[in-house]
Amino acid sequence: MTGLIFLVAAIAMMTALAGYRGVAIGLFGVSFVGAVLWFDRHMTDPLSLSL
Amino acid sequence: MGPFLRLGNAAAAAGMATILLVAFGLQFGLKEFPCPLCNLQRVAFVLCGFGFLLNLRFGAQPLHYALTLLGALFGLAVSGRQVLLHVAPGGSAYGSPMLGLHLYTWALLLFLAVIVLVALLMMFSARPEHHNTDHQAALRFRGVYRLAAYLLIAATLANVANSFLLCGPFECSDNPTDYWISKYLPT
Repeated sequence: MTGLIFLVAAIAMMTALAGYRGVAIGLFGVSFVGAVLWFDRHMTDPLSLSL
Repeated sequence: MGPFLRLGNAAAAAGMATILLVAFGLQFGLKEFPCPLCNLQRVAFVLCGFGFLLNLRFGAQPLHYALTLLGALFGLAVSGRQVLLHVAPGGSAYGSPMLGLHLYTWALLLFLAVIVLVALLMMFSARPEHHNTDHQAALRFRGVYRLAAYLLIAATLANVANSFLLCGPFECSDNPTDYWISKYLPT
Protein backbone atom coordinates (compact mmCIF):
# COMPACT_ATOMS: atom_id res chain seq x y z
CA MET A 1 0.00 0.00 0.00
CA THR A 2 2.85 2.41 0.81
CA GLY A 3 4.30 1.52 -2.58
CA LEU A 4 1.04 2.65 -4.17
CA ILE A 5 1.21 5.99 -2.33
CA PHE A 6 4.78 6.47 -3.57
CA LEU A 7 3.68 5.54 -7.08
CA VAL A 8 0.87 8.13 -7.14
CA ALA A 9 3.33 10.77 -5.84
CA ALA A 10 5.85 9.84 -8.55
CA ILE A 11 3.17 10.08 -11.25
CA ALA A 12 2.14 13.46 -9.81
CA MET A 13 5.73 14.71 -10.17
CA MET A 14 6.07 13.47 -13.73
CA THR A 15 2.71 15.03 -14.60
CA ALA A 16 3.95 18.33 -13.18
CA LEU A 17 7.09 18.13 -15.29
CA ALA A 18 4.91 17.54 -18.35
CA GLY A 19 3.15 20.83 -17.56
CA TYR A 20 -0.20 19.62 -16.20
CA ARG A 21 -0.22 21.51 -12.93
CA GLY A 22 -3.86 20.92 -12.00
CA VAL A 23 -3.69 17.18 -12.56
CA ALA A 24 -0.42 17.00 -10.62
CA ILE A 25 -1.91 18.80 -7.62
CA GLY A 26 -4.94 16.50 -7.76
CA LEU A 27 -2.67 13.45 -7.69
CA PHE A 28 -0.74 15.02 -4.80
CA GLY A 29 -4.07 15.29 -2.96
CA VAL A 30 -4.81 11.62 -3.60
CA SER A 31 -1.41 10.54 -2.27
CA PHE A 32 -1.68 12.87 0.74
CA VAL A 33 -5.14 11.57 1.73
CA GLY A 34 -3.94 8.00 1.17
CA ALA A 35 -0.93 8.61 3.41
CA VAL A 36 -3.07 10.14 6.17
CA LEU A 37 -5.53 7.21 6.05
CA TRP A 38 -2.65 4.72 6.10
CA PHE A 39 -1.13 6.53 9.08
CA ASP A 40 -4.48 6.35 10.87
CA ARG A 41 -4.53 2.60 10.26
CA HIS A 42 -1.10 2.24 11.86
CA MET A 43 -1.87 4.26 14.99
CA THR A 44 -2.74 1.15 16.92
CA ASP A 45 0.08 0.74 19.46
CA PRO A 46 -0.77 2.36 22.79
CA LEU A 47 1.64 5.02 24.01
CA SER A 48 3.15 4.30 27.44
CA LEU A 49 4.07 7.78 28.55
CA SER A 50 3.21 7.64 32.27
CA LEU A 51 6.11 6.84 34.57
CA MET B 1 11.58 33.99 -9.16
CA GLY B 2 15.10 35.29 -8.64
CA PRO B 3 18.17 33.07 -8.96
CA PHE B 4 18.65 32.90 -5.17
CA LEU B 5 15.10 31.71 -4.63
CA ARG B 6 15.29 29.31 -7.56
CA LEU B 7 18.55 27.85 -6.22
CA GLY B 8 16.98 27.55 -2.76
CA ASN B 9 14.08 25.55 -4.16
CA ALA B 10 16.46 23.36 -6.21
CA ALA B 11 18.62 22.74 -3.14
CA ALA B 12 15.54 21.88 -1.09
CA ALA B 13 14.26 19.41 -3.72
CA ALA B 14 17.72 17.84 -3.99
CA GLY B 15 17.89 17.79 -0.18
CA MET B 16 14.66 15.79 0.06
CA ALA B 17 16.05 13.33 -2.52
CA THR B 18 19.33 13.10 -0.58
CA ILE B 19 17.49 12.30 2.66
CA LEU B 20 15.67 9.47 0.88
CA LEU B 21 18.94 8.17 -0.57
CA VAL B 22 20.69 8.30 2.83
CA ALA B 23 17.78 6.28 4.26
CA PHE B 24 18.39 3.73 1.51
CA GLY B 25 22.10 3.68 2.34
CA LEU B 26 21.37 2.91 5.99
CA GLN B 27 18.76 0.31 5.02
CA PHE B 28 21.16 -1.60 2.81
CA GLY B 29 24.35 -0.83 4.74
CA LEU B 30 23.08 -1.72 8.21
CA LYS B 31 20.50 -4.25 6.99
CA GLU B 32 17.76 -2.46 8.92
CA PHE B 33 14.37 -2.66 7.28
CA PRO B 34 12.05 0.35 7.49
CA CYS B 35 8.96 -0.08 9.67
CA PRO B 36 5.52 1.13 8.45
CA LEU B 37 5.92 4.48 10.25
CA CYS B 38 9.44 4.84 8.82
CA ASN B 39 8.03 4.31 5.32
CA LEU B 40 5.35 6.94 5.98
CA GLN B 41 8.09 9.40 6.98
CA ARG B 42 9.72 8.75 3.62
CA VAL B 43 6.34 9.46 1.99
CA ALA B 44 6.25 12.76 3.88
CA PHE B 45 9.69 13.75 2.52
CA VAL B 46 8.42 13.01 -0.99
CA LEU B 47 5.33 15.14 -0.36
CA CYS B 48 7.57 17.98 0.90
CA GLY B 49 9.69 17.76 -2.24
CA PHE B 50 6.65 17.97 -4.48
CA GLY B 51 6.00 21.63 -3.59
CA PHE B 52 9.62 22.55 -4.32
CA LEU B 53 9.40 20.74 -7.65
CA LEU B 54 6.27 22.72 -8.57
CA ASN B 55 8.13 25.94 -7.73
CA LEU B 56 10.97 24.94 -10.06
CA ARG B 57 8.65 24.02 -12.92
CA PHE B 58 5.91 26.68 -12.65
CA GLY B 59 7.51 29.46 -10.58
CA ALA B 60 7.13 30.22 -6.85
CA GLN B 61 3.54 30.40 -5.68
CA PRO B 62 1.98 30.29 -2.19
CA LEU B 63 -0.02 27.19 -3.14
CA HIS B 64 3.19 25.25 -3.83
CA TYR B 65 4.66 26.24 -0.48
CA ALA B 66 1.39 25.22 1.18
CA LEU B 67 1.70 21.72 -0.28
CA THR B 68 5.23 21.45 1.13
CA LEU B 69 3.96 22.61 4.53
CA LEU B 70 1.20 19.97 4.43
CA GLY B 71 3.83 17.31 3.74
CA ALA B 72 6.03 18.60 6.57
CA LEU B 73 3.11 18.67 9.04
CA PHE B 74 2.18 15.13 8.09
CA GLY B 75 5.81 14.10 8.59
CA LEU B 76 5.88 15.82 11.99
CA ALA B 77 2.77 13.88 13.05
CA VAL B 78 4.25 10.53 11.97
CA SER B 79 7.76 11.06 13.33
CA GLY B 80 6.36 12.65 16.51
CA ARG B 81 4.19 9.60 17.09
CA GLN B 82 7.17 7.30 16.64
CA VAL B 83 9.28 9.36 19.03
CA LEU B 84 6.47 9.13 21.60
CA LEU B 85 6.28 5.36 21.11
CA HIS B 86 9.91 5.00 22.14
CA VAL B 87 10.45 7.95 24.47
CA ALA B 88 9.60 6.23 27.74
CA PRO B 89 12.71 5.28 29.77
CA GLY B 90 13.49 1.59 29.58
CA GLY B 91 11.53 1.17 26.39
CA SER B 92 13.05 -0.26 23.27
CA ALA B 93 13.97 1.89 20.28
CA TYR B 94 13.65 1.01 16.60
CA GLY B 95 16.87 0.74 14.61
CA SER B 96 20.37 1.95 15.33
CA PRO B 97 21.10 5.55 16.31
CA MET B 98 22.97 7.79 13.89
CA LEU B 99 25.10 10.56 15.41
CA GLY B 100 23.37 9.95 18.72
CA LEU B 101 19.79 10.16 17.50
CA HIS B 102 17.47 7.59 15.98
CA LEU B 103 16.28 8.15 12.44
CA TYR B 104 12.73 9.09 13.49
CA THR B 105 14.16 11.77 15.78
CA TRP B 106 16.29 13.08 12.91
CA ALA B 107 13.17 13.04 10.74
CA LEU B 108 11.27 15.11 13.33
CA LEU B 109 14.05 17.71 13.34
CA LEU B 110 14.25 17.71 9.53
CA PHE B 111 10.51 18.28 9.14
CA LEU B 112 10.82 21.23 11.52
CA ALA B 113 13.75 22.47 9.39
CA VAL B 114 11.59 22.20 6.25
CA ILE B 115 8.95 24.43 7.86
CA VAL B 116 11.63 27.00 8.77
CA LEU B 117 13.08 26.79 5.25
CA VAL B 118 9.67 27.38 3.66
CA ALA B 119 9.18 30.40 5.92
CA LEU B 120 12.56 31.80 4.80
CA LEU B 121 11.89 31.14 1.12
CA MET B 122 8.49 32.83 1.40
CA MET B 123 10.08 35.82 3.12
CA PHE B 124 12.46 36.26 0.19
CA SER B 125 9.74 35.67 -2.40
CA ALA B 126 8.52 38.73 -4.19
CA ARG B 127 5.07 38.62 -5.72
CA PRO B 128 3.61 35.26 -6.69
CA GLU B 129 4.49 34.51 -10.29
CA HIS B 130 0.95 34.12 -11.61
CA HIS B 131 1.76 36.53 -14.43
CA ASN B 132 4.35 34.21 -15.97
CA THR B 133 3.23 32.08 -18.86
CA ASP B 134 3.83 28.36 -18.73
CA HIS B 135 6.18 28.77 -21.66
CA GLN B 136 8.37 31.24 -19.73
CA ALA B 137 8.47 28.98 -16.69
CA ALA B 138 9.29 25.93 -18.82
CA LEU B 139 12.15 27.79 -20.52
CA ARG B 140 13.78 28.55 -17.15
CA PHE B 141 13.37 24.96 -15.99
CA ARG B 142 16.71 23.59 -17.14
CA GLY B 143 20.23 22.73 -15.95
CA VAL B 144 20.66 22.20 -12.25
CA TYR B 145 16.96 22.90 -11.59
CA ARG B 146 15.89 20.10 -13.93
CA LEU B 147 18.56 17.84 -12.40
CA ALA B 148 17.19 18.42 -8.89
CA ALA B 149 13.68 17.54 -10.07
CA TYR B 150 14.88 14.38 -11.80
CA LEU B 151 16.83 13.35 -8.71
CA LEU B 152 13.69 13.68 -6.58
CA ILE B 153 11.63 11.66 -9.04
CA ALA B 154 14.31 8.96 -9.21
CA ALA B 155 14.41 8.72 -5.40
CA THR B 156 10.61 8.45 -5.33
CA LEU B 157 10.57 5.71 -7.98
CA ALA B 158 13.26 3.84 -6.03
CA ASN B 159 10.95 3.97 -3.01
CA VAL B 160 8.09 2.57 -5.10
CA ALA B 161 10.23 -0.46 -5.92
CA ASN B 162 11.61 -0.75 -2.37
CA SER B 163 8.16 -0.61 -0.75
CA PHE B 164 6.76 -3.19 -3.10
CA LEU B 165 9.71 -5.56 -2.65
CA LEU B 166 9.57 -5.12 1.13
CA CYS B 167 5.81 -5.23 1.77
CA GLY B 168 4.24 -6.46 -1.45
CA PRO B 169 0.77 -5.20 -2.28
CA PHE B 170 -0.34 -5.66 1.32
CA GLU B 171 0.40 -4.22 4.72
CA CYS B 172 3.99 -4.21 5.95
CA SER B 173 4.73 -6.11 9.14
CA ASP B 174 5.40 -3.95 12.21
CA ASN B 175 8.95 -5.21 12.49
CA PRO B 176 10.03 -6.50 9.07
CA THR B 177 12.93 -8.92 9.04
CA ASP B 178 13.04 -9.79 5.35
CA TYR B 179 11.73 -8.70 1.98
CA TRP B 180 8.26 -9.88 1.01
CA ILE B 181 9.57 -10.84 -2.42
CA SER B 182 12.15 -13.21 -0.90
CA LYS B 183 9.35 -15.70 -0.15
CA TYR B 184 8.94 -16.16 -3.88
CA LEU B 185 12.60 -16.30 -4.84
CA PRO B 186 14.50 -19.58 -5.05
CA THR B 187 16.99 -19.97 -2.21
